[in-house]
Amino acid sequence: MADILTAVVVALYFLLMIGIGVWASRKIKTTEDYLVAGRSLGFWVFVLLMIGAVCSGMSLLGVSGLGYRAAWPTMWEQIFVPLSIGFCVIFFGVKLHTVAKNAGYVTVQDYLAHRYESPKALRSLSAVAGILVSLIYLVGQYTAIAIVLMWLFAIPLWLALVIATLVTMIYTTIGGLYAVAWAALIQSIMLIVGIFVMAPIIIFYAGGFSQVNTFLAGINPNLVMPWMPSGAFAPAYVVSFAIMLMIGLACAPHVINNVLAVKDVKYFKWAPLVAFLIYGVAMFLLKFTGLAGLVMVKEGIFTLPTVSNASDFVILYGIQYALPIMALWAVFAVIVLAAVMSTTDRLMLTIGAMCSWDIYKKILRPDADDKKVLLLSKVIVVLSAIGTMILAINPPEALASLIWMGIGIMLSTFAVPLLAGLYWRGATKDGALASMTLGLVSAVVFGALNYFKITVLGYNFADLPVHFSFIPLIISIVVMVVVSRFTTKTHEKILDETLTGWYITKP
Amino acid sequence: MFGLPDITILVFGGVTLVAFVALLYWGLTFKGHD
Repeated sequence: MADILTAVVVALYFLLMIGIGVWASRKIKTTEDYLVAGRSLGFWVFVLLMIGAVCSGMSLLGVSGLGYRAAWPTMWEQIFVPLSIGFCVIFFGVKLHTVAKNAGYVTVQDYLAHRYESPKALRSLSAVAGILVSLIYLVGQYTAIAIVLMWLFAIPLWLALVIATLVTMIYTTIGGLYAVAWAALIQSIMLIVGIFVMAPIIIFYAGGFSQVNTFLAGINPNLVMPWMPSGAFAPAYVVSFAIMLMIGLACAPHVINNVLAVKDVKYFKWAPLVAFLIYGVAMFLLKFTGLAGLVMVKEGIFTLPTVSNASDFVILYGIQYALPIMALWAVFAVIVLAAVMSTTDRLMLTIGAMCSWDIYKKILRPDADDKKVLLLSKVIVVLSAIGTMILAINPPEALASLIWMGIGIMLSTFAVPLLAGLYWRGATKDGALASMTLGLVSAVVFGALNYFKITVLGYNFADLPVHFSFIPLIISIVVMVVVSRFTTKTHEKILDETLTGWYITKP
Repeated sequence: MFGLPDITILVFGGVTLVAFVALLYWGLTFKGHD
């Protein structure tokens, strides 16, 4: 499928990313430079870094794939994923950034250790949980990269994975968050412009906005309703799905850590609205390409490949038929790669930070010098890239399912300790430990029961009326409240230092 | 409108509008400074 021009376009993109890594590497002197870009990010770099972190492989392949499978009832994703950036900035960012600047936090685990007076137990638990969920999420991202490279170059999966891993690994390893943030600036601009140009072409090729809706209503009237009458995307599911996307993504380690790297808290004023508008429209267009793809498949314009994750290919096939110019496929492939890589690099760096800073520097070797910590961060980035690449060799059935599982586990593990820590002075160390542990364990259990459609005592967990993460979230809330009531309170001095209380900005 | 039932436009339009107004309100009222 690929010609020389395609290969050149993709190679140029890869070289540009590596060039950013080389440029950024000159700015790095300390671990703080590497992990939080010296707290120097400006408004647009921050907004686009947040969009890049949230906009992942799911956003291009999985979102349109989900639109292909269930159409309008899934459109909630297009409202609540963009809202997750606003939620993160408003409910986590303002306080965390203010406290972090004074206390010198590098990761969100620094906050948890400080707020709950738990320098080892809670820090290590949250770091291990963060690494676990980031790895799950990362596997989904590498699968998406592989899908694009396999489609474009007709190369084997392993080779696609090796190429994608090498490029992302190189610029992230050498350039740290400086490279990730500036790469995200370019990647996000390419992504947004690409979606705004290419999605309408696919939609018009399928007959236009109204025509696609009318066609879908003719196939099944539920496809143009805001929810399904039962099962996935019924009203109860939609509510739990919205919570999972908005809050789960907001507290995901690779997203929330970005608020620590901003230069000035004043950038949080308009970042939520700007991110919501830009990303909301882009996500809507993407989802609608999936609906347009469904129309094209039903009309026999093209057929999807006979693979288990066929729906994830719908936007690629849509582009191929709506834009029969091979050079444009290369441009689109680069856009998809940009979307995936903008999340992948941030995830790898987050894993590096949690291992080198939280576990090594703060727990195992507090006396380790900065050079050693910096070196270890880089080694971990390399190892996480190689490890997840190996895990991604057997791609999951549907990309969206795997990535949602990662977000669901993030929600159940981090949301309650973070929100309770920031807003409830009664939340205790033991409450946070119990809440995080049970949230994580129950999320993995319910996620597995649901994903593998397991029946227990005659009940099939595939039939859950809500997203699986909703039950662990409730467990996590109850455990936090009950345990905190009966355990030692945090010192008032610490609560004041960490701006704990029922406010966003101190009254 | 747009080949969609009224309820779909009302529900999605309504939720999007509420989100937009909430974020606009935040932008107009937040007085952040380090």
